[in-house]
Amino acid sequence: MIDFVVAQLLGFSSALYILVVDPITYVYLIPAVFLGIVFGALPGLTATLAVTILTGFFGNKFPLDQALIALIGSYVGAIYGGSYPSILLNIPGTAASAATSMDGYPLTKKGLGGEALGLTTTASFIGTLFGTFCLLIFVWLLLIVSKNIASPEKALLALFGILLSGTLMSQDLVIKGWISGLIGLAMAMVGLDPLLSEARYTFDWSYLLSGFQVVPVLMGAFAIPQIMDGMREAIKLMKVPHVGRIRPEAREVGRHMPTILRSGAIGTGVGALPGVGEDVAGWVSYGVGKSMSKEGDQFGKGSKDGLISAEAANNAAIGGALIPLLVLGIPGSPPAAALLGALKINNVIPGPTIDPALILHIVAILVLASLTMLLMGLLTAKIFIKILRIPQTVFLPVVMVLTTIGSFSVGGGINDLFLMIGVGLVAYAMNKMHYPIAPLVIGVILGGLFDETFRRSLLISDGDMTVFFSRPGAAILLTLNVLLVLSQIPAIKKMFAGLTDKFKRKVVK
Amino acid sequence: MRRSLLKLAAATAVAFTFGSAASAQEYPFRDITTAVVWGAGGGTDSINRMIMAEMEKHLPVGISVTNQTGGVAGSNGMVYVMNQPDDGYTLAGISESNVTAAVQGGWDKKFDFWHPFIVGGSPDLISVPADSPYNSLEDLVNAAKEAPGTIPAAASGSGSIHHLNLLAIENGADVKFKFVPYKGSAPGQEAAIAGEVALVVTSLAEQAPLIAGGQLKPLAMLTPDAVTFEGKEIPSAFSIYDGLDKYLPLKQAIGFAVHASASDEVKATLTAAFDKAIASDVVAEWAATNNYDVSGKSGDEASAIFSNLESNFAWTLWDLGAAEVDPSTLGIEKP
Repeated sequence: MIDFVVAQLLGFSSALYILVVDPITYVYLIPAVFLGIVFGALPGLTATLAVTILTGFFGNKFPLDQALIALIGSYVGAIYGGSYPSILLNIPGTAASAATSMDGYPLTKKGLGGEALGLTTTASFIGTLFGTFCLLIFVWLLLIVSKNIASPEKALLALFGILLSGTLMSQDLVIKGWISGLIGLAMAMVGLDPLLSEARYTFDWSYLLSGFQVVPVLMGAFAIPQIMDGMREAIKLMKVPHVGRIRPEAREVGRHMPTILRSGAIGTGVGALPGVGEDVAGWVSYGVGKSMSKEGDQFGKGSKDGLISAEAANNAAIGGALIPLLVLGIPGSPPAAALLGALKINNVIPGPTIDPALILHIVAILVLASLTMLLMGLLTAKIFIKILRIPQTVFLPVVMVLTTIGSFSVGGGINDLFLMIGVGLVAYAMNKMHYPIAPLVIGVILGGLFDETFRRSLLISDGDMTVFFSRPGAAILLTLNVLLVLSQIPAIKKMFAGLTDKFKRKVVK
Repeated sequence: MRRSLLKLAAATAVAFTFGSAASAQEYPFRDITTAVVWGAGGGTDSINRMIMAEMEKHLPVGISVTNQTGGVAGSNGMVYVMNQPDDGYTLAGISESNVTAAVQGGWDKKFDFWHPFIVGGSPDLISVPADSPYNSLEDLVNAAKEAPGTIPAAASGSGSIHHLNLLAIENGADVKFKFVPYKGSAPGQEAAIAGEVALVVTSLAEQAPLIAGGQLKPLAMLTPDAVTFEGKEIPSAFSIYDGLDKYLPLKQAIGFAVHASASDEVKATLTAAFDKAIASDVVAEWAATNNYDVSGKSGDEASAIFSNLESNFAWTLWDLGAAEVDPSTLGIEKP
């Protein structure tokens, strides 16, 4: 174990060194982090959107190593950038920073806006590093699982990813998340089948032979509903208050260190749950902070501890979200789902068989991106704040154009745009009916893998279903899948609730 | 309406004048674009980037390499280049796998639409996991003869060059394996290492790091000559089973192509630059480090290779029931 940690740190150092000395890195990194912060700062534009749009742009046209710099840079920037309007205007820039506004805005009203921004920047930086470090170390899971992974395990893992994201992303009924995931799974069946090259559901239309492309689906699912919603209820922008000094004092940061680390740990943990992202991480950490912090009663009235609880956690969730993505191939958050799409169009299937060097590369990018974010946050925050004065009605159409170009540029022609709009309209309707859209995207991305590995398992076993429980890895995964579904059956749900209630009562006593 | 029509006519006339003026100039007078029909970082992509950089040195203009992926068997990229003028300014980066685009319904052209240039390819071989009980091709074949159709074999997707090589060894040695398709060579090789399949047929370039890392055990080359890899000899399957030469070798052919309808001048200029590039040390060195064999064939010779591959691939797919379009309707002859 210790050997592994040392080896990982050494590998990481060399990956970081290669990245730092290559001037190309900065060409991608600086604009990407900037763009990320802008997307995060503008209400209505999200981290998922930033990563999605860049996926369309870089897609398969640039080397993956370089494209990843841009994608991860924008991801880190956007999660952080959301804190600006939360703190200054009480409008969360992204869902991830909703908890930030609870204490950020009261601080601004007290005239401490600059200080709040500075602390947020530092907390986000340390949070990102915390999550990144966990990613670096937790990859050892990879070593354990990779030996036991063959087609049956891959199939069950893909199914688990779809079901779990459906379970966790649903706002009201879990079954809605599953329906969304299964629609995605069905969409993944279109095209030439992976084993026998038979055309399925193509209706003799050659465009459909290559199946639904990931990028247009991503754009349609994540960008279009966002733009439509934003245009419908364009938020009137308030006057941005004066902020004052932004750089925080070291002593102030030191005093809040325990909160930062605790929130980092919570953020990483929540981020690592498949399908649950930075937004939930922020809220959970804020809730835990409220009960653990000495100034818990001040939460919501302008507590710096509260601000930090939310902000360190949502940035730490990035590293957390990448753990299941890289180790198991299941994205830990919606932006990570977009990242999975980017990897997939470059023919990299993350999961147990991923190249370990790629993980080190990603970790190095994360570290460098968070450093860039810190510098930009402390030095140029005042410029970013001006961006808040751009009305959404001006900005959203620009985003629509970018989205369209991104979809088109993957190379599928005009049909990709029809697909994007079609998926977008369906996604908008689903959003309105509170069907989560991320499971659909995960279904499209993982569905192909499920289809291929499930049928290959049966091909090798001559149709014998026992392969799905005779192997130890498969048996565990199958149990998890079954438990996940059973836990939603009312009778069993009640039983579980009874058990946990008893447990809770015991703990309280 | 009439006015806009007039304008259109004028614009067209101007375009034609310029067009003819341009063609009067010697080829090439502006930069060339090569659209690789497979993804960035793959074999066809890296070979094209390497050879184009070398050819640039012998041409007065630059060559930029882009990727136009998607469709069936690279049909998106081929359709894209097909729709560009046949003036030699847009080339297609292609490989042997593109010959199935027509029978799989990706486009409706025979491969003689192209005037191909073959840089080379990596020879195929048959390997087993490092801990496999089979230590030679004979061991494996004997085991398969005792239990026909049960030993699982990976060889990339249905109708890939590696699948055809597997079929050829089955015919030549008169055995039957259980073919398990994978999307590409890498997943198939991973499956072999994980023990999901008992053997894998892919190219030496793709297997090299796994053989060097001791994870795969090479049994036999599917080419007439033995190969020395990392100081160890990998025997040729030809010396083990007679009659293999009836079916083999079926080799990768990676390179690029220009419209067959392009002018002779364009073809001659490209061929001259190609020949010089192929003869360079850079290409030889690249081929040696990456386990590729350099071909250097172009024009009629290369066309003959591709039409042989095309009829082999097309009819194999048709016989497997995996083709959308009957190869005879496309005028593809039986091998």
